Amino acid sequence: MKFERNTLLVLGLIALAFPLLVGNQYLLHIGIMVLLYAVLATSLNLIVGYVGEFSLGHTAFLGLGAYTAALLSLRLGLPAWATIPLAGVVSALFGVVIGAITLRLRGPYFVIITLAFAEVLRLIANNWVDFTNGPMGLSGVAQPALLADASPLMAKRFYFYLALGLTAVSLYLAYRFVYSNNGRAAVTVRENRFVAQSVGIRPFVYAMRAFVLGAFLAGLAGGFYAHYITFVGANVFGFAFMVSMIIMVLIGGKGTLIGPLLGALLVTLLTEYLRELQELRLSLFGLIVMAVVLFLPNGLMGFLNHRRERNPSDAADGAARAQGGPA
Amino acid sequence: MDMLLQFVANGLVSGAFYALSALGLTLIFGLMRVVNFAHGELYMLGGVMGWLATTVLGLNFFAGLALTLAVMGACGWLVDRFLIERVRDQGEEPSILLTIGLSIFLTNTALLLVGTAPLTIEGPLPNKPVFLGPVVLTELRVFAVAACAVLILAAHLVIRHTRLGRAMRATFQDPMAARLAGINTARVYASTFALGTMLAASAGMLLGSIYSTHVSAGGLVSLKAFVVVILGGMGSFAGAIVGGLILGVAEALWGGYISTGTVDIIGFIIVILTLIFKPYGLFSTQVERA
Repeated sequence: MKFERNTLLVLGLIALAFPLLVGNQYLLHIGIMVLLYAVLATSLNLIVGYVGEFSLGHTAFLGLGAYTAALLSLRLGLPAWATIPLAGVVSALFGVVIGAITLRLRGPYFVIITLAFAEVLRLIANNWVDFTNGPMGLSGVAQPALLADASPLMAKRFYFYLALGLTAVSLYLAYRFVYSNNGRAAVTVRENRFVAQSVGIRPFVYAMRAFVLGAFLAGLAGGFYAHYITFVGANVFGFAFMVSMIIMVLIGGKGTLIGPLLGALLVTLLTEYLRELQELRLSLFGLIVMAVVLFLPNGLMGFLNHRRERNPSDAADGAARAQGGPA
Repeated sequence: MDMLLQFVANGLVSGAFYALSALGLTLIFGLMRVVNFAHGELYMLGGVMGWLATTVLGLNFFAGLALTLAVMGACGWLVDRFLIERVRDQGEEPSILLTIGLSIFLTNTALLLVGTAPLTIEGPLPNKPVFLGPVVLTELRVFAVAACAVLILAAHLVIRHTRLGRAMRATFQDPMAARLAGINTARVYASTFALGTMLAASAGMLLGSIYSTHVSAGGLVSLKAFVVVILGGMGSFAGAIVGGLILGVAEALWGGYISTGTVDIIGFIIVILTLIFKPYGLFSTQVERA
C-alpha cells in the first residue's frame, strides 16, 4: 500500500515536470496519449482486476463518454469543463444499467454479453445518422475557449495538464476504492465467491460499484478524447481500443494500481515505435497477449511483487503489506 | 406473402452455415470447457485456404475442400498441443485470453499476407436459379446447404459411433476416470479441437463459394457463433442447429422488413435477451452456466 502510494506520488511529480522540460509537440502528444490510456487502463483494471470478470465491452463507456461530450459541445455549446464531467456521469448511468444486466453472468457469458453491448452501441452510432451523424462522425468538437489564441505548444501543454488532472482524479478514486472496505470486499469476492458470501459480502453489490466507477472513469477519458482529438466516430466503440486496453492491463499486471500505468506507458511507446510497421503491429500485439498469458500470467507488477517478497531486504515491507491487506 | 417465404428460405440457407460454424464452437466448449474466441478466425482461414487451393493451386472444389479440411485439422491439432494444452485445468480465464490473443494474431497476419480484397471461391455448380414454388434459390445454395447437412451428420456419427467419439464423451464426463480407463486424454482434446476447427473451416469455405470471403470476416463470425451457441445452450448439438436456423431466419426477416444496415444487431439482441431470460439456452441439459 505504502509502496504503491509512494510510487504513484513520484510518478506524478515526474509527470508534472515533463511538459516544462520538453518543448517538443510530438513528445507532448505522446505524453497525453499515455495519460489518456492510463485512465482507460485504470478503469478497465477496476473490472478485470477487482471484479475478476473479463470485460470485452469497456469501449462502450469510452464511446458513450466521447459521444456525450461531442454532442453536448456541438448541439448545446457547453464548454469542456462541463462536458467532460457530464460524459463521465452519462457513462456511469449506462454502467448502472449495463452492469445490472451483465454482472449476473460470469466467465465466458460475461465476456460475450459485454462485447454484445459494445457492438450494439457501435451499430447504433453508425446507423442513427440524424443523431450521431452516422459513419461520418462528429467533427469540429470545440476546444476550450482558453486556447483561442494560445500557441500550439501551449495548447499541448494545457491538454497535458488536463490529462494529468484526469489521471490524478482517476487514480485517487481507484486508490480510495481499492483500499476501502469496498475494495477489500471486491478482492474477497474475486478470490473466493462462496467464502465472501458466507461472511456476509454480497458479490453483486460490490461488483456493481467497481463496474460503475470503471464506467465513470472511462467516460471521463472519452470526454477528454472528444475535445482533444476534436473528432468522434464510431471507431471509439471499436475493437482496436479494446485490444490496447486489454494488453496494457495484462502486461502491467491486473489487480494492481501501478500495473496499468506501466502498461499504458509501455504499450503507447511501443505503438509509436512500431508506427512504421503499422500492419505488423497488431499481429505482434496478438503474440504479446499470448506470451503474457503463457509466461507472465500476473503481469510485470505481479512478477516484481513476487521478486520483492522473496528478497530478504524487502521482507519487512512485504510483511507489512501482508498485514495491511492485498497489494 | 411471397416475399415472406423467400426471406424464410434465405434465412434457412444462412442459418445452415451459422449452425455448422457454431457446431465446432459448441463441441470445443462442451468437451473441453474452452471458450474459443479464435473460432471465427479459424472459419476465416478455412475460406482463405479454400481460395488458395481452388484459385491459386487450381484444384477442383472437392479436392480443395479435402485439402482445406486436412490442413485446418492439422492447425487445430497444433493449436491445442502447443497453446491450449499449457493452460488446461487453470480455469476459464487464461484460455479466454489466449484465444483472444490468437484471434488478434491470426486476423492481422492474414490481413498482412492476403490483403483486404474479397476472395471468391469457384463453386462446383453454376449459379443457376432453382424454382421451388414461389421461392427462388440457386443450385449452388441448395448444394451448399446439402453439404452443411452432410457435414453435420458426419460430425454426429463420429461422436456417436466411433471409438474416438466414445473416448471424447468419456473424457467429457470425467477426465480422471477416462485417464484411468486408459484413454489418452491429451490426444482426445487435440482431436476435439481439430474436429471443431475442421467444422469451422468447412463452413468458411462453403460460404465463401456462395458469397465471397474476406480476411476480416472472423470477428463477426465468432460473435454469431457465440450467439447461436448461447441461444441453443453451450455444448448442445441440437441447440446449435436450431439456434443457427433461428438466427438465420430472424436476420433475414429483420433485413427484409426493417432495415438491412442494422441486421447484425438482431444477434446481439437475441444474446442479451437469452442471457437475461433463459441463461442456460433452449436446449442445454446441464444445470450450469459455464
